[in-house]
Amino acid sequence: MLVAERRMATIDYDLELKRAGANATGGWRRVLFLARRHVLGAAGLIIMTVFVFTAIFANVLARFDPLTVDAAHALARPSAAHWMGTDSFGRDVFSRIIHGARISLAVGLGSTALGGTIGVIVGLTSGYLSGWFDLVFQRVSDILQALPLLVLALVMTAALGPSLPNVIIAIAIPLIPTVARVIRANTLALREQPFVEAAKSIGMSEVRIAVRHVLPNTLAPLIVLATAQLGSTILTEASLSFLGLGIPEPYPSWGRMLSESAAEYVRTAPWLVIFPGIAISLAVFGTNLFGDALRDILDPRQRG
Amino acid sequence: MRSVWALAAVAALSVLTVSTTTLADEGKQGGILRIYHRDSPGNASIHEGATYSLNVPFMPVFNNLVIYKQDVAQNSMDTIVPELAESWAWVNDNKTLTFKLRQGVKWHDGKPFTSADVKCTFDMLMGKSQQKFRQNPRKAWYNEVNDVTTNGDFEVSFNLKRPQPSLLALLASGYTPVYPCHVSPAEMRTHPIGTGPFKFVEFKANESIKLTRNPDYWRKGRPYLDGIEFTIIPNRSTAILAFVAGKFDMTFPTEVSIPLLKDVKSQDPTAVCVVEPNNVSTNIIVNSTAAPFDNADIRRAMALALDRKAFINIMFEGQGDIGGTMEPAPAGLWAMPKEMLESIPGYGPDVKANREEAKKLMQKAGYGPDKHLAVKVSTRNIPVYRDPAVILIDQLKSIYIDGELDVVETANWFPKIARKDYMLGLNLTGNAVDDPDQSFYENYSCGSERNYTNYCNKEIEKLFDAQSQETDVNKRKKLVWEIDKKLQEDVARPIIFHARTGTCWKPYVKGVTVMSNSSYNGYRYEDVWMDK
Amino acid sequence: MFAYLVRRLFLMLVTLFGISIVIFFLLRIVPGNIVDILFAAAGYVDPADKANLEKELGIDQPLVVQYVHWIGGFLRGDFGYSYVSEKPALQEILPRIPITARLAGLALLFSASIGIPLGVISAVKQGTKLDYALRVVSLSGLSLPSFWLGLLILTASVAMFGQMPIFNPNPQTWLEAFATYAVPAAAVGFRSAALTMRITRSSMLEVLRQDYIRTARAKGASDAAVNYHHALKNAILPVITVIGIEAAFLIGGLIVTETVFNIPGVARFLVEAIRWRDYPIVQNLVMFIAVVVVFANFTVDMLYAVFDPRIRFTE
Repeated sequence: MLVAERRMATIDYDLELKRAGANATGGWRRVLFLARRHVLGAAGLIIMTVFVFTAIFANVLARFDPLTVDAAHALARPSAAHWMGTDSFGRDVFSRIIHGARISLAVGLGSTALGGTIGVIVGLTSGYLSGWFDLVFQRVSDILQALPLLVLALVMTAALGPSLPNVIIAIAIPLIPTVARVIRANTLALREQPFVEAAKSIGMSEVRIAVRHVLPNTLAPLIVLATAQLGSTILTEASLSFLGLGIPEPYPSWGRMLSESAAEYVRTAPWLVIFPGIAISLAVFGTNLFGDALRDILDPRQRG
Repeated sequence: MRSVWALAAVAALSVLTVSTTTLADEGKQGGILRIYHRDSPGNASIHEGATYSLNVPFMPVFNNLVIYKQDVAQNSMDTIVPELAESWAWVNDNKTLTFKLRQGVKWHDGKPFTSADVKCTFDMLMGKSQQKFRQNPRKAWYNEVNDVTTNGDFEVSFNLKRPQPSLLALLASGYTPVYPCHVSPAEMRTHPIGTGPFKFVEFKANESIKLTRNPDYWRKGRPYLDGIEFTIIPNRSTAILAFVAGKFDMTFPTEVSIPLLKDVKSQDPTAVCVVEPNNVSTNIIVNSTAAPFDNADIRRAMALALDRKAFINIMFEGQGDIGGTMEPAPAGLWAMPKEMLESIPGYGPDVKANREEAKKLMQKAGYGPDKHLAVKVSTRNIPVYRDPAVILIDQLKSIYIDGELDVVETANWFPKIARKDYMLGLNLTGNAVDDPDQSFYENYSCGSERNYTNYCNKEIEKLFDAQSQETDVNKRKKLVWEIDKKLQEDVARPIIFHARTGTCWKPYVKGVTVMSNSSYNGYRYEDVWMDK
Repeated sequence: MFAYLVRRLFLMLVTLFGISIVIFFLLRIVPGNIVDILFAAAGYVDPADKANLEKELGIDQPLVVQYVHWIGGFLRGDFGYSYVSEKPALQEILPRIPITARLAGLALLFSASIGIPLGVISAVKQGTKLDYALRVVSLSGLSLPSFWLGLLILTASVAMFGQMPIFNPNPQTWLEAFATYAVPAAAVGFRSAALTMRITRSSMLEVLRQDYIRTARAKGASDAAVNYHHALKNAILPVITVIGIEAAFLIGGLIVTETVFNIPGVARFLVEAIRWRDYPIVQNLVMFIAVVVVFANFTVDMLYAVFDPRIRFTE
């Protein structure tokens, strides 16, 4: 293992804020201070909030049913009635994008949470227990990382069949080693810290030490990693759908909307290609901006 | 007997005069025709496949005994012309079809063509020879053929169990090339040898297929082109963009959808585009062996709920056709008259009234506004399958049916259908020739491999045989209409619509004819030339 | 050092062995096989014909026998025949490799030549408007789906020039070669460039904070000398790692880009082969890719060891 990965990442946030010159004690003031200091991050947070809000209240926000076919208004240009036009089935693109936020969010959060959780458990166990478990983990993670992510996801969705839970699983699995590696490196470093030694010496059980002392201290890098991965999971789903293996029709996944059938209208009905593309890019952009700021705040080593 | 030969001679002669008139419009020699191809066919052997992805690039390599005249859009008995045969005749009470073969024809590897090659080909198709095709999808076409016999090197006879006038139509399809005896089926899959106007050069999977001019072609002065190059581009928008940008002289035949056609015309106003039906029907396969569609009322309700016009409006901007099993007129030869068609449940123009009736049937079966029926609509993961399935689900909503789309990968489609592991399936049926024998026996006869729903009705089977033996075309038509109507009323495999699609080429490409009642027969390309 | 090398090589073999097992069994889990697809294409089902074909291809045998047969052949350099084209698998795979390699190489070159300088500038000008602008650009690079970018490029080029960059197997002019490879490479490389830039930036920032840089400054070295001579040299290491890792990710980007630009490279071929359940092609191709990735990682680690004396080989 490389030495660089073994650095510590425990942070005293109050101290950090003070050092940055924040004269803030209340919760909101701190947030405001951070927002001013990380303008891009704040912008990212706003985009993400809009994204999550849209996903939650899709039913209220959408002006039409996203699945209802309306022959009379097929391929209508953007207008007062259909803000982003309609697709070849006459379905309202705006409403589909609104509902698509749900799918993207479900895939993003679902696979990140699934991959993250398993990754944390595996990483923690591997770093803490060492021995044969660690050895096996290392080999499995080598294997998963030597296979291109998209190839793995491709074979998995083909094996499992295209559906929302299966896409989430297929995207989550390649994520596990990435998360586990970071957690493992952190755990290894933490294990040798005085407070862990101390806990051991007063007879605390290993599991308790792992959960009470080691895990909380790996949260910062985990959050940073998870936000960074959120965007890429959304992109992976879009790529899978583009190749015809993601969420099946008629569900309005953004990637699916962009895929083959929509690509046919790139010139005659460009709104079918432009809006879903913007939706994907914006959502990913938002999570990336936010993730960046979060990393700056939580991981002072990387601060810029 | 003598009169029949004379008739054949007249037929051959009339063809000769026609071809001399086309000669007057002298084509230019040279040039390589560049076409994009929609996908990579698995292999190069036409007899072992059932997709026109195979016919388009490889039909130019071969000849048939007889072929539909390549410059007439509507295939019919009257447009069948000799190719490797010089003439044909029905003898022995219409139970023997005899061909006199062309002499001096050579295979692309230099070996001479004889009647033995014809016998080999059809023995193999009937499963009678030592060598076997790995796959033989059209074996059933020769169910009525007892055997094929040769008389010397240049005469061959098909001996039938009973008269079957349609056999000639089947032999004229692009699906029925003559293969050489001396080349194994395995070699034919990778490096086909034919007698046709173009020689096979190479086939790189997912990349390209290249053909070159056969300088020793038996038809003097043909082909005009030096070669044909197919570049495989599965992404339709990329392909169209490339055509517009001048990378190709022609689109893949019948692959330009109506919305894309507008795109082509707006970007390249000089492009020549034709829109033709292609005898492909979009239909619903119904699993009547299991709930809920084992209930005849629910089957009928579903048939009544279909708004066929809406399908056509959405998918073809109005340019599609409503019909039964046989392709609708005017392109189709065997379509029911309009009044007859509209008398079939669900075909009537008043969709609202149909759906009211359907709702009543659903209520009778125990469903209603408070109790919806959940149904899975399975289909393949290809837009032309998926798109109509989405519309179907939307329409079923109107009669208390909540449909869910079940997208199946190509690899799993037939196993799933064979297992009867579906409720409704959205399916496409392409007909090789516009002929009732091909369509009825293949799709509706008991035990046929392509009768996916296992619909089996002995009564109607008798009518199939009756029409097949009928030599009087008008009498046969009446029988065919009756059968077609009955099939629709039985909801055997409800036909939703017949598609129309576009083909475009640059104005300097001449001599292309797109067939209007088949998408399998018009790709010999020996008369195509480029005015450049 | 020698013991470390041997250990690393041994682990590499273990990894590759594991990959062979994973891909073999994963493929067998995928429902349907080549025979189903061939019959789907032929539009009929005949159990007898099907059984014959399965026997002919050897996919009726127990999985373990199939695996041993494959891996034995692989080790002897016998890669079998493609189920679809019936040609030797090697003959199908090899000609496609240079195309993808050229594309990937160009993309990496693009990524390094754009990403590293911009990353350095961004770090040196930290906190300025320029830094902000560059960060936004790089983040947007990470946010655009590459196939969408590709589609927009194609459309724009037809709209503006009436021409489009479409693959030409034998480019005649310099311009054709450029259109054939550079444009798609840029579409994929945009993302890697963005990533490279970010890593360069943060790596530079970290180095700039180090004591020896402070010392150099205190000794009166010019800003330029400090930034480019001392700092960049040390900051480049993590960048090498990331470019190495990117090589594996690039394959993913290449799959969609080769699809959009219709480039007959290995990446798209792999997807097609998965679709056809062409086991010999998929298995061998994935193994080739894995070998490349594993060796790339190995090389990067070795480079690291050579450049960074802090690495201890004993670990």
